[in-house]
Amino acid sequence: MSHMLLYIDQISEGYIILITGLLIVFSALLTLAVFFKFGLPVLLYIYKVITKRKDKKIKDISIEADESFTGEVAAAISAAIHLYLHEQHDNENAILTIKQARKLYSPWSSKIYGTHNRL
Amino acid sequence: MKKVLLIFGVISLLVFIRPALGLNKDINPNNTITSVQADQVNQVEEGVYDGAFKGIKQFYNYTGFANASAGNLIMILIGIIFIYLGIKFDYEPLLLIPIGAGVIIGNVPFVAGNQTGIYEAGSVLNYLYFGVVKGIYPPLIFLGIGAMTDFSSLIANPKLMLLGAAAQIGVFATFLGALYLGFNLPEAGAIGIIGGADGPTAIFLSSKLANGINLLADGTVVKNLIGPIAIAAYSYMALVPVIQPPLMRLLISKEDRKIKMKPPRAVSQKEKMIFPIVALLLTTFISPSALPLLGMLFFGNLLKESGRTERLADTARTKLIDIVTILLGVTVGASTQADIFITKDSLMIFGLGAISFVIATMGGLFFAKFMNLFLKGDDKINPLIGAAGVSAVPDSARVVHHEGLKSDPTNYLLMHAMAPNVSGVIGSAIAAGIILSFLG
Repeated sequence: MSHMLLYIDQISEGYIILITGLLIVFSALLTLAVFFKFGLPVLLYIYKVITKRKDKKIKDISIEADESFTGEVAAAISAAIHLYLHEQHDNENAILTIKQARKLYSPWSSKIYGTHNRL
Repeated sequence: MKKVLLIFGVISLLVFIRPALGLNKDINPNNTITSVQADQVNQVEEGVYDGAFKGIKQFYNYTGFANASAGNLIMILIGIIFIYLGIKFDYEPLLLIPIGAGVIIGNVPFVAGNQTGIYEAGSVLNYLYFGVVKGIYPPLIFLGIGAMTDFSSLIANPKLMLLGAAAQIGVFATFLGALYLGFNLPEAGAIGIIGGADGPTAIFLSSKLANGINLLADGTVVKNLIGPIAIAAYSYMALVPVIQPPLMRLLISKEDRKIKMKPPRAVSQKEKMIFPIVALLLTTFISPSALPLLGMLFFGNLLKESGRTERLADTARTKLIDIVTILLGVTVGASTQADIFITKDSLMIFGLGAISFVIATMGGLFFAKFMNLFLKGDDKINPLIGAAGVSAVPDSARVVHHEGLKSDPTNYLLMHAMAPNVSGVIGSAIAAGIILSFLG
């Protein structure tokens, strides 16, 4: 009988955990979503206002991020930059300058150098 | 080489004929009575063969052939199947091959008491298994995942975070199912987290709740279910490409599958840097028990996004996570030692795991459809991405992408599906924290 009671008790506690757990998970992720939807743009706006240059007016700064500038646009631009920088190797200056070496003579195996100059 | 072989041969010959030459200490060398000598020699010869037989018999008793049970052989076969699946079908080979090898290692039969097996205190495998039992490996894996993950699609479209929460229905439904099947509360909690489709989280929670050490309220010791839970979680994660597509086709109509979502906006570096800090604070204040997991996840992400710690991020997402994955895979595999693993509980856990994956996927899909009721025009989401709310990163997002392509070859859902996918990771870690705080 006591086992039965324990069993029922477990199930009811299970339901409590089920409901509260789901609620907490949803509320946690909802808070995150709400913050990044509304809170973050405001934060960034305040940051922009604080760090604005003197010649800029507060009016010119918008809260909303630029929706038309999508990740695809960014990807296209960065791919283009990457390709451009990559291809720069092909357009290098073809004139090779041969500079005169500073030291013409190396005395590493010279007997006569050794006799004249005490090393 | 020849010399070495020759010397070895001579030595072994000497060792073998040692008793015959009378070099054994057992033989009494002072025996001088000649009439007895012949007898003695006979006895010695008998002793030699007896000893040899005894030795061989003892050697045989120590071999795997003598100790093998049907369970061992079945598990070794399962290990080989895991390796086969990993190689042939490319189902998460980075997981299945270490686990498969581990299953074989853990099920080679041996004589207990020589510090060989993973469950024997002091054995090498036992020391490596320590990281699983104490929940050390999962946070390290999360650090690497954090350093790999790009949260920008989530920041660009925060409402998709709710899909990650919806898929956690699988966790709690399985928890209830396990309770009805007669598991205790802590065991049921650990089993439920399989529905989170997150291997490290499952290991973390089961090492805290169902570790074979904790005492229950009625004085009995909780069962050790780390092995079955980890194997179930990882094998179903590997089977995501098999489990999810039929459900998607069943629940989502053809028109809905063709919905094109507008491309996510570009996210600035500042937003990406703020995300891990804010998300860490918000989520861990709500569910502090998930701190080891979420703390490391967002720390890893901060390493990646800060732009100043590229070296640390690089180590975390390559070498470190590889090392931990190797250790985790092999030890979790080896923990399936047949005499401990093959029980009715393990079978039930596998059944519950399959159901929990199905429920989690359905939860995500239905919630995506539900969200579509409130969204208009361009903002509508493709309900397929709801399936990515289970946190098998990035496999379920890839599955969603493939399913989307099947309906419309120009519809690229991968980036959109990554949002619920990574929020699923956060969601399942929060769920684990909640279960831990209720039952731990």
